[in-house]
Amino acid sequence: MALIELEAVTRTYQVGTESVRALRGVCLKVSRGEWLAVVGQSGSGKSTLMNVIGCLDTASSGRYRLNGHDVSHLSDDELADIRNREIGFVFQTFQLLPRETALANVELPLVYRGLGARERRERARAALEKVKLADRMAHRPNELSGGQRQRVAIARALVTEPSLLLADEPTGNLDSATGEEIIRLFEELHRMGHTLLLVTHEPRLAARCPRAVRLSDGEIISDGPGREVALQNLRDDPRLAAPEPR
Amino acid sequence: MRFQVDFVEGSRIALRSLRAHRLRTVLTTLGVGIGVSTLLAILGITQGLDTSFANQLASIGSSSLYVTKMPWVQLGNWWQFRNRKDLDLSHMEAIRAQSTYAVAVCPMIDRAENVSFLGSELQRVQVVGTTPEYLAVSGFEVAQGRFLTEADDGALRNVAVLGMDIVDTLFPHSNPIGVTVRLGNRPFNVIGTLSRKGKILDQSQDLLVVIPFRSAAAQFGRRRGIAIGVAVESPLMMDPAEDQLVGVLRRARGTPPEKPDDFAINRPEQLASTYEQLTGALFGVAVGIGFITLLVGGIGIMNIMLVSVRERTREIGLRRALGARKRTIVVQFVLEAVVVSAVGGLLGTVVGLGGAKLISEITPLAATVRPLTVLFGVSFAAAVGLLFGIWPAARAANLDPVEALRYE
Ligand SMILES: Nc1ncnc2c1ncn2[C@@H]1O[C@H](COP(=O)(O)OP(=O)(O)OP(=O)(O)O)[C@@H](O)[C@H]1O
Ligand SMILES: [Mg+2]
Repeated sequence: MALIELEAVTRTYQVGTESVRALRGVCLKVSRGEWLAVVGQSGSGKSTLMNVIGCLDTASSGRYRLNGHDVSHLSDDELADIRNREIGFVFQTFQLLPRETALANVELPLVYRGLGARERRERARAALEKVKLADRMAHRPNELSGGQRQRVAIARALVTEPSLLLADEPTGNLDSATGEEIIRLFEELHRMGHTLLLVTHEPRLAARCPRAVRLSDGEIISDGPGREVALQNLRDDPRLAAPEPR
Repeated sequence: MRFQVDFVEGSRIALRSLRAHRLRTVLTTLGVGIGVSTLLAILGITQGLDTSFANQLASIGSSSLYVTKMPWVQLGNWWQFRNRKDLDLSHMEAIRAQSTYAVAVCPMIDRAENVSFLGSELQRVQVVGTTPEYLAVSGFEVAQGRFLTEADDGALRNVAVLGMDIVDTLFPHSNPIGVTVRLGNRPFNVIGTLSRKGKILDQSQDLLVVIPFRSAAAQFGRRRGIAIGVAVESPLMMDPAEDQLVGVLRRARGTPPEKPDDFAINRPEQLASTYEQLTGALFGVAVGIGFITLLVGGIGIMNIMLVSVRERTREIGLRRALGARKRTIVVQFVLEAVVVSAVGGLLGTVVGLGGAKLISEITPLAATVRPLTVLFGVSFAAAVGLLFGIWPAARAANLDPVEALRYE
């Protein structure tokens, strides 16, 4: 059984009298343990897709099954619980609480699961060890480098042992070396059996994923091994096809 | 389990955020604090007034009526009373002869005089010229010596019975009986003293000198007419006694039937109702001010909470993404508001009670504070926080998580 199963999912935004169709009938199946990259031009609907899959947003029509359960008609509270148990989010801008230590930041999702302080602490510590930040637990975000911050965020996403890790441009705010560090971490998580969904506009990254889909105007226009989809993306990108003179 | 998430975690977050914005917290707290302290000080003072007034009223002697030309409590146009005929002894005699409820009747004329003994002087003391029955009408008792007699009055003796305030001031260490004091520049022989009655509305009832009616009339002249005190057999008979008096007096004064009464019958309770009207209005205004202050404090809280929600939009989005339910967010922000206002309430309670106490120390106003008032202050403040915190909190919880996370 597929972990994620989207059938003709649409998402329409109402802006004034106009409706913006950010997703137009997306069908997608992702199995457990897969590592999928989502590529596409800016505005093609990548983040929207990611939010729908992460139950932060709901589809306007179509069906979305997560772990075999239809989540289209769940209540707000149920969706919150699903986000807590099944989904780990990694954001481009890290989204750490600035006043809290790395450890407290990682504990946060466990608070909403209702775990006791001791168990929270232990699991948060283990998650930070996984991302190799055992020595930075008491540091606050402003005392950490960008890469370290993103690793704290990844630890926070991992700490609930979710079915699915969603990362929207996780390297977008990092220099290439630090970005590479994060991608290595993802590779390792993939090897460990995590299911990963990575939104990126860097074909270089997509090429390293076993599978990639390409979105255009709210539709999946290609789906295949990361390398192929990335190459195709490169060819079609008008900016890359005719680079502007410096 | 949910309780733990909502309340324990909510309080922790609330306290943290309050600590992170100390100045803001203090200022917000102050708003509520001022409201609560105003309210409490006012409540304390009016409660104090009520208690002391009730005690004082009991001391007046509650079964007497006082007939006067002009009413004690004048509502409306003073001029309408001015052309009335004075009351005189014939009216008093009519009452004595015809009233079946009256057990004692006395004429009274009064005048302010300086009272002196040796070097000390009390200025503008009420000197009452009256007859022996005054004792029954006024409810005073003789503390030392004796009261006036018919003989004193008949012989126009210059004798005086002193109220306790006079004794306290002029004879702090000696016995006044038999001593000669001066009223104005006339010598009067002290024959007795009156037991203490205390104060009514901060007016001492013991600052008086009682002398025979005819002596007073002779000394002061009788141009001004008299007042007539009537003791009724029981407080229950006040209404029929008053009705009867009206009839007696109208006949004695020849008031035409179509004209209203041209005299006034006063009761000490009138003071009470006047007092109630007065303090009722005062209380209303003061409580109104207190509430407005609290309202302002509450709006302050709401304002701060809205700022707090806006400032933490991304945090709210993040918490929602990580699995916080809407209710959890609501509780977090409401708790923040409630904590601020409850702390303000506590502070305000302390200040308010202190204020009431201070006022009762430095002014003649008495302040009593009931424990319930304290509870009221704190819970009222907390309720203000709840009320004004709910809307911002609901706004926070209803933010769309995606939008909130994107908020700059
Ligand atoms: N809240 C919104 N209201 C209206 N339109 C929206 C909203 N969010 C997204 N859109 C529109 O939906 C489309 C898809 O947006 P989305 O954010 O998914 O693009 P994206 O592929 O993530 O782009 P980028 O690479 O720039 O992040 C865009 O046309 C966008 O303008
Ligand atoms: Mg995006």
